[in-house]
Amino acid sequence: MAQCDFYQQQMSLFLSGMLNEEETARLNEHLSLCTSCSEEMTSIKALWAELDAITIEEPSAGMQASFNAILKNYKEDIGSRKNIFIKWNTRIKQLWQLQPRLQLAYSLLMVIVGIGMGYYLSNKPNVNESATKDQINSLALQVTDMQRTLMVTLLENPSASERIRAVNYTNEINKADIKIIQALLATLNNDPNVNVRLATLEALTKFAREPNVREGLVQSIQHQESPIVQTAIAELMVKLQEKRSVKPLQQLLNKKDVDELVKAKIKESLHQLI
Amino acid sequence: MEIFSDNTLMLQVKEGDLDKMGLLFQRHHQALYGFLYRMTGQKEQSEDLVQNVFFRMLKYRHAFAGSGEFKTWMYHVARNALSDHFKRSGKKKSVYELSVVENKVMAEHRSDAMIESRQNRQLLEKAMNSLSNENKELLILCRFQELKYKEVATILNINEGAVKVRVHRALSELKNIYQQLSNK
Repeated sequence: MAQCDFYQQQMSLFLSGMLNEEETARLNEHLSLCTSCSEEMTSIKALWAELDAITIEEPSAGMQASFNAILKNYKEDIGSRKNIFIKWNTRIKQLWQLQPRLQLAYSLLMVIVGIGMGYYLSNKPNVNESATKDQINSLALQVTDMQRTLMVTLLENPSASERIRAVNYTNEINKADIKIIQALLATLNNDPNVNVRLATLEALTKFAREPNVREGLVQSIQHQESPIVQTAIAELMVKLQEKRSVKPLQQLLNKKDVDELVKAKIKESLHQLI
Repeated sequence: MEIFSDNTLMLQVKEGDLDKMGLLFQRHHQALYGFLYRMTGQKEQSEDLVQNVFFRMLKYRHAFAGSGEFKTWMYHVARNALSDHFKRSGKKKSVYELSVVENKVMAEHRSDAMIESRQNRQLLEKAMNSLSNENKELLILCRFQELKYKEVATILNINEGAVKVRVHRALSELKNIYQQLSNK
C-alpha cells in the first residue's frame, strides 16, 4: 500500500513536529481508517516517548564560572595585545621624532644640491666652451699688446740697461709683428750704446727668417760704426748666407775709418759669402 | 532590563562588547551540553567541548553575519568542534558511558519496574549508538534540542525535504534495531 508508506513517513514527521495542522488532520483521518498504520503509530509513538528515558548527566555547576574566567582571560589577552601594538607604534613614532628627521632632511638636501651641482658642472662647459676660448684668446692678445707697448716705451728709456731689458722682452714674443721689428731696427741703427745695439742684433737674429728683417739688417751695415757691431753683423750675414750683404760690406771695406781687424773679418766673411 | 535577542547580543559581541558572550553562554550552554553529551556520551569531554565552542564563537565573532540565527551558528560551530574531537580521539562512534548514572539510580530505587525500565533504556541507548553518526545526530537534533526542522535543515546544510526523508528513515532504522534487541 503506497498510501500507507506515505503516512508512515508522515508519522515520523508528526512526532518530530514537522507537520502543520492540515497535514496532521489528514494523518489522523488515515489512522482512523487503517488499523495497521494505527498500530504502527502506537508503537513508534511509544518509542519516541521512550527516548525521553535516555537521561544525561547533569553538567557541572561551575561551567558558567569557567567560561567567565575564559572570557576574562581573553579580554585581557586582547587588551595586552592592543597595548603592545600601541607601545610599538609610539616607540616607532618617537624614534622618528628624535633624531633622524633633521638628519634625513639634511641628507636629502645635500643629495639634491649634489645632483644640482653635477648637472651644472657637466652642462656648463658644453654651453660656454667657445665663449671661454674667446675670452682666453682675447686675454692673450691683450697681454701681447701690453708687452709690445711696454717694450717700445722702454726702448726710449735713457738708461742703457733698461733699454737692454726692453730688447730682451722680445725673447718672450714668438711671433714678431711689424711694429716690434721696426722698433728693433731703429734701435740697432740709432742707439748710442754699443751693448744695446749688440743685444738688439741678437734679438733680431731670432726673426732673421722674416724678409723685412734681413733687408733691415743689410741696410744697417752702412750705419754701423762700432767695430764690435760691424764684426757681429758680418758673422751674422755669413750665418744667414745673405748674398745681398756683399755690396754693403764691400762699401764698408772702402771706408777709411774702419778698424783693420774688422776689415780682415769682413774680408773673411765676404770670402765665405761669395 | 530589556531582553535582547540572541542575534542582538551576538552582534554586540562582534562590535567589541565581549561580556555579552557570557549572557549567551548562560542561555545556551545547557542545551549545547545536552547535544554534545548525547553525541559523545562523556561528561567531561562534553563540558570541555561546550567551553571550546563558546571560545571559538568569541574568537571568530567577526564571522557571525547576523543574517542567520545565532542558535544555528552555534550548532555549526559545535559540529565542527565535535568533528575535530572525533578526529583527535580517533573514534568514529562513541559509546555511552552511563554506568555512573545507572548505579546511582539503582542504589536509590530498587524495584522490578525500575529494573525493567532500566533494561529498556539500556536497549534504547544501545540502539541509538548502533545508528550511523548522521542518523543519530539528526534524531538528537529533532528529538531533544527543541529545534524547528527548518533550523535542523540549516544546521545540517540540507534542504527541508531532505530532512523529512531522513528523519523517517532514521526513526524506522532505530525502531527496527530496538525491536531486534528486545527480541533477543
